[in-house]
Amino acid sequence: MVLSNRERLIQLLSQNMHTYVSGQWLSNELGISRTAVWKQMKHLEEDGYHFKAVPNKGYRLIDMPDKVSENTLFWGMDTRVLGQTLEYHEQVESTQDIAHMRARENAPEGYLIVTDSQLKGRGRLQRRFQSENKNGGWFSFILRPDIPPLHAQKLTLITAIALIRTIKQKTTLQPQIKWPNDVLINGRKLAGILTEMQAEQDRIHYMVIGVGININHRPDEFSDDIKDKVTSLLIETGDHFKRRHFIQDFLKNFEALYEAFLKEGFLTFKEEWEQSAFRLGEELTYKKNKQTFSGTFIGIHEDGALVVEKDGIKDYLYSAEIDWF
Amino acid sequence: MFTISELKQLIEALDQSTVNELSLEQEGQKLKLKKQMTSSMAPSQHPLVYQASPEPQSVPIQTQQEEEATDLNISEPAYDHVLKSPMVGTFYLQASPESEPYVRVGDVIGQNTTLCTIEAMKLFNEIEAEVDGEIVEILAENGELVEYNQPLFGIKTK
Repeated sequence: MVLSNRERLIQLLSQNMHTYVSGQWLSNELGISRTAVWKQMKHLEEDGYHFKAVPNKGYRLIDMPDKVSENTLFWGMDTRVLGQTLEYHEQVESTQDIAHMRARENAPEGYLIVTDSQLKGRGRLQRRFQSENKNGGWFSFILRPDIPPLHAQKLTLITAIALIRTIKQKTTLQPQIKWPNDVLINGRKLAGILTEMQAEQDRIHYMVIGVGININHRPDEFSDDIKDKVTSLLIETGDHFKRRHFIQDFLKNFEALYEAFLKEGFLTFKEEWEQSAFRLGEELTYKKNKQTFSGTFIGIHEDGALVVEKDGIKDYLYSAEIDWF
Repeated sequence: MFTISELKQLIEALDQSTVNELSLEQEGQKLKLKKQMTSSMAPSQHPLVYQASPEPQSVPIQTQQEEEATDLNISEPAYDHVLKSPMVGTFYLQASPESEPYVRVGDVIGQNTTLCTIEAMKLFNEIEAEVDGEIVEILAENGELVEYNQPLFGIKTK
C-alpha cells in the first residue's frame, strides 16, 4: 500500500511515542519541507490527535482520537498481513458486499473493510443483522488460503476462537460459542460471524469473513424484537471499550490462529473451541432433511462437525437446524 | 392431468430416491412409475418403465401420456456435464427464501454464473458453473442436505 504523507507521519509519530522527534527529522524522513510537516500536524490536531511539543526536542504523540478511521485503525495495527490494507466508511449497506467487490477486483489477502454503521447488515440466508448502531464493531476481511475448499469451514470455528480470546483478554467474562460460531454471554448473543466463499472443486478463489460484535451498546439501543436475546460488552461489564482497539486485537488474535491453522490444521484448536462450547454435554434436538432427532452434544469432530450421540450411535452435523434455546 | 414437466419432476424425484415403484391417482388418472435397479448405473441413467393406466373414459389423455412416455423412454440424458457438490451441506438455489432463484432450467450460463450456494457450518460456498452451457436439469432440491460429490446440476455444454 502506498501511504500518503499524512499516513506516514502518523506512522512515524506512533512508532516513536516513547520519545520526541524533531520537525527536521520528520521533514527528512518524509521528504517534505518543515512547513509542510507543521501543516500536516495542524490537520491531525484538528482531527483529535494530541501532541506534546517541547522546544529543542520536538514533538511527541500522546493521544489519538477514539473515532474509527483509516488512520486510527492503521495506527497500532500489530499484524503482518491482516488489516494492513483497509478501507473505512462512516456508513455502508454491508461491509460483506464491499469485500466481495474488492475481492473480485483482486484485493489482497487481509484486506479489511470497517464501518461505523451498516444499513443492510446480513446474517445467514440474508437475514437482517442489526448493525446500524455506531457502538459496534462491524467489519469484513478477505482471505485467500491455499487449502482445499473442504477445509475452509473450519475457519468459521477459528474466527469464533479469535473472538473468545479477544474478549477474555479484555474482560473477565465467560463467553461461549454456539456451534459453529455465534458468540454468547449468559445465553445472549454478543457477536455473529458470516463466512462466504468463492471456490472451485479444488481451489478457493477467496473467502470473506464478516464479524459483527456489540461493543458499547446500552440496553435501550436494541430493538424490541431482539433486546431479550442480545447483549453488549458494555452491558455485561459496565465498561466502555475503544472499538478500534477491539478490532485491532481481534485481527492480531485471528492472524496468529490462522497462521497456525494453515501449518498445523484444526485439531490443535478443537479442545479450545470445546472449552467454550454452549450446551456441551446437554441433550439437543435438531432437524435434518425435515426430520427431527435428538441426542447428547458430546463435542466436535476434527473437521468441525457437531457430534451428537444417541444410544451409542454418533451423528455428525454439518448443516442442521438445531433447537438451542 | 399431469403436465410434461410434472412428469419429469416425478421421474427425477423417483430417480434420486430409494423408492423403486410409485403409483399415483389424481382426477381419475392412474400413473405408475417403476425403476429397474442396476447398481452400477449413475442415478440419472436408470431406465424407467413407464405405465400410464388411465380410467377407460379418459382415452384422449391416455394417448397423450403414452406419447410422452415414449419420448421419455428413448431420451438419453440431455446433458453432458454434471456439476457435483464440493462439500457436505445444505443446498440453496436462492440467496434467501424471498429472492429469485440463481438459475432455472433452460437458462444459458457462463463459467462465472453462480448456480447455487452450499452451506456447512455457516460457511456459504457460492458455486460457479465453471463451464459455458445451458441448465438442463436441477438434480437436488432447494434446502436439501447434499453429500460430497452429489450431482447438483445437469448442464449441456456449449
